[in-house]
Amino acid sequence: MMEKEQEEFSFGMYAWDQFRVNRPAMIALKLLFILITIAIFSPIIANDKPVFCEYRGQWLFPATSLYTTAEIQGADGKTEIVQYDIADWKRMDLETVIWPLCVYSPYESDLDNSDYISPGGEQFFTGKDGKTVEMPTRFKHWLGTNKKGEDVLSGLVHGTKISLTIGIFSMLLASFIGVFLGSVAGYFGDRRLQTTRARFWLTIIGVFVAYFYAFVVRGTVLSDMLSNSGLLFFFQLLWSILIFFAVLYLIRLFGRLFDRVPFLNKRVYVPVDMIVSRSIEILNSLPKLILIISLSVIAKPSVWNIVLIIGFTTWTDIARLTRAEFLRTSQLDYVQAGKSLGLSEARIIFRHALPNSIAPAFIAIAFGIAGAILIESGLSFLGIGVSADTVTWGSLLSAARENFNAWWLVLFPGLAIFLTVTMYNLIGEGLRDALDPRLKK
Amino acid sequence: MLRYIAKRVLMFVPTLVIITVIGFFISVNAPGDPVERMMTAAGSSGEVGTQSASQVEQKRFWKQKLGLDLPVFYVSLTKLSYPDTLYKIYDKNERQALERLLDQYGNWEQIAEHSHRLNNIYTRLLFFNPVVDSQATYERDEFEEDLNTIRFEILSLKSCWQHAVIQTKTAVVKGLMSKYDLTKPFADELDEVSGAYQKVLDTRTTWKNYVPALHFYGNNQYHRWLFGDGGIYSDGIIRGDFGTSYQTKDSVSKTIFDRIGWSLFFTLFSVIIAYLVSIPIGVKAAQNRGGRFDRISSVFLFGLYSLPNFFVAILLLMLFANPDMLDIFPASGVKPTEGYPEDANIFEKMWLSLPHIVIPLICYSYTSFAFLSRIMRGSVIENIGLDYIRTARAKGVTEKAVVWKHAFKNSLLPIITIFAAVFPAAVGGSVILETIFTIPGMGLEAYNAITYQNYPMIIAVLTLTSVFTLIGYLVSDILYAAVDPRIHYR
Repeated sequence: MMEKEQEEFSFGMYAWDQFRVNRPAMIALKLLFILITIAIFSPIIANDKPVFCEYRGQWLFPATSLYTTAEIQGADGKTEIVQYDIADWKRMDLETVIWPLCVYSPYESDLDNSDYISPGGEQFFTGKDGKTVEMPTRFKHWLGTNKKGEDVLSGLVHGTKISLTIGIFSMLLASFIGVFLGSVAGYFGDRRLQTTRARFWLTIIGVFVAYFYAFVVRGTVLSDMLSNSGLLFFFQLLWSILIFFAVLYLIRLFGRLFDRVPFLNKRVYVPVDMIVSRSIEILNSLPKLILIISLSVIAKPSVWNIVLIIGFTTWTDIARLTRAEFLRTSQLDYVQAGKSLGLSEARIIFRHALPNSIAPAFIAIAFGIAGAILIESGLSFLGIGVSADTVTWGSLLSAARENFNAWWLVLFPGLAIFLTVTMYNLIGEGLRDALDPRLKK
Repeated sequence: MLRYIAKRVLMFVPTLVIITVIGFFISVNAPGDPVERMMTAAGSSGEVGTQSASQVEQKRFWKQKLGLDLPVFYVSLTKLSYPDTLYKIYDKNERQALERLLDQYGNWEQIAEHSHRLNNIYTRLLFFNPVVDSQATYERDEFEEDLNTIRFEILSLKSCWQHAVIQTKTAVVKGLMSKYDLTKPFADELDEVSGAYQKVLDTRTTWKNYVPALHFYGNNQYHRWLFGDGGIYSDGIIRGDFGTSYQTKDSVSKTIFDRIGWSLFFTLFSVIIAYLVSIPIGVKAAQNRGGRFDRISSVFLFGLYSLPNFFVAILLLMLFANPDMLDIFPASGVKPTEGYPEDANIFEKMWLSLPHIVIPLICYSYTSFAFLSRIMRGSVIENIGLDYIRTARAKGVTEKAVVWKHAFKNSLLPIITIFAAVFPAAVGGSVILETIFTIPGMGLEAYNAITYQNYPMIIAVLTLTSVFTLIGYLVSDILYAAVDPRIHYR
């Protein structure tokens, strides 16, 4: 009986039990799932094209279709080509139609309702007969419009996608960097990773050689991609990083040749911890927002570039916490046991020590996502970062600076940011309570 | 202790070197050409492709003054095919074209020959202003137009690297040149250029692109930035000279000196306000831990913490600086639009500025309420459970004295850390808040510098902030030791 209980007990389950009793955190987690759902289904939640419609006897799915046009063969034998993004769906003779919840796209200017129409204000609709009538309830701008007549609700829905993408993916990148560097620094410290003199110096030279082949030779490719597309740049960057490590590895292999040379085979320590800690200190002493803004001015404005920039500048907290945890874990018995069994260092670190040391990083990641979303909305508020024609919560809010009477432009995006940030902060708090054994209930 | 401080200060050096190198890396990779931008801003650039000789001269002057005619760093790791004098080509587009050509063909000698011939023909064309005999105005106009096109195309040829583009452009220019007797000699010269280009194609040595090469430069931009150029144009940051602003052509140090006042004011006062608000809240919450005040304040502060400051700023402006709502405070600036009266003394000035700073100050300070009071609460709780508090209570010390005289005093440590962050924060300013309220501080300056790509300013802000951050860490560590005798540094 006792044994069975022991078997079934895991720290993850324990933490989940602790987390589950934390009501605010659970509510926040549910809200997060709702937001992710909104983000994923944003094309069929807010779109100026119908989700489904029947036009002259033919079934169309304009909102989700991969095609851009449809050829309609009418009963009278005439063919009509409907171009999805140009067609004025609201004024077409559709036989049956299922509209999205919000019938506007974020950049669609509704000229009848331009110049700041408030949610409760009078809205108009020009039918296909050219007569302007009161807005049909189905086509209402529920949260008002901005100066150009763009629908605020639709902007909010599509902004969700951008905020969550940036928050989650930038922290994913940051946690890869942070967890890796933090665990290596904490595990090896300054006096644990040994190598021979030859290999030590060859590695230092090798870093430059690898940098040459990965980034100098491919420099033009990378800079072309940087000014073209964020995602392609990301792949090229990954490729470069791969080359970097491959070259470094080859050079280290080459270093084995010197293992028998008397002077060069003396063993030296690699100060891993010092290098990582110094890098954290340097990055922390730079003003983060100014650094991020100046980097985003160099890079082409795009969501993925912002992800990269935020990811590469905010990994320090995660690394710091992981390192501190690893300093403790690496002294524990099971790590020593792993060593005496002859397991490789990589296996000890990533298979055995890491699962027991990653808890603090989770907390930092949750708070980090909140921070990244704040940074992103701040950037788009200033009009930098994502490209100018992308509607985000920050850009909606900044439109209110031109007209302080447009309270709906302030309130709704502001609340959206506030809610999302609070949500992640609550999840972070919940994780902290759940993962810290000292706060055990 | 002194030894410890000296050691720490010595450790600043490598950190600062890396930080300035990062700043440099950013500025060198920035798109566009600062000199080009300065000339455009001054309105002195003429038609495209018709740079006058004086403009070329002016460009050279600014290049020299800004130090952009030097290599970037002490060492450069490049491809073997690259010559070590590539930095001397001061037109960014032209340099880029040469680099791309090198990437494609790798034979510098031939490429240099080609570029040299192209330059020759361009300079000769610039100074080629023939008198056209023809009486007909339209003929003269047509000739002028074609000559301009030729100049423009040759200039753009200098920044071309794609094979197809070069071929087409050359053909077009040649067609135009052979149209008139006057330009016929140029057509022959262009043939030589094409010959040089053909030679580039024939003798390619692409393998050179895959061999690393190191070049060393004693005199470079970074060195000049640090130590100056002997007082001709710059004194170097060693002597407090951060260089020349691309935006105003003023000294960066002077601009910082002018601008830092307001940022310092706001950061300092917001920290003081944050202390005044959150220390009592934190202590009170700690006193009745788990009680109603504790729960309500923590929920409230938690909400406040998640509110983005630009949202609050706009909301406050909407409510209190809006003619249609409550028009109590002005919406922007830090002083009356007409400026201070001439005979105003410092107090009158402060009184006039007061309405301007109320809303910004709220936005500056509220974000740290939650953080500070939470730290305060935590450390008071930690102390209140200790023996010496029990002793004090047993002696009959009043509860007030126990909390404020004993527990509070010993909970001050974390508060010190926050204060150390004031000065670096002042250098960076608050970009978002200063932009919203048009406060002429460092944040707005940094934002303008970034949008204008005024890199000397950005590097100055990055460097100064990190210097102050490092000093702040050091000072707070020293203060720790001063406040808590148990802490020793060696």
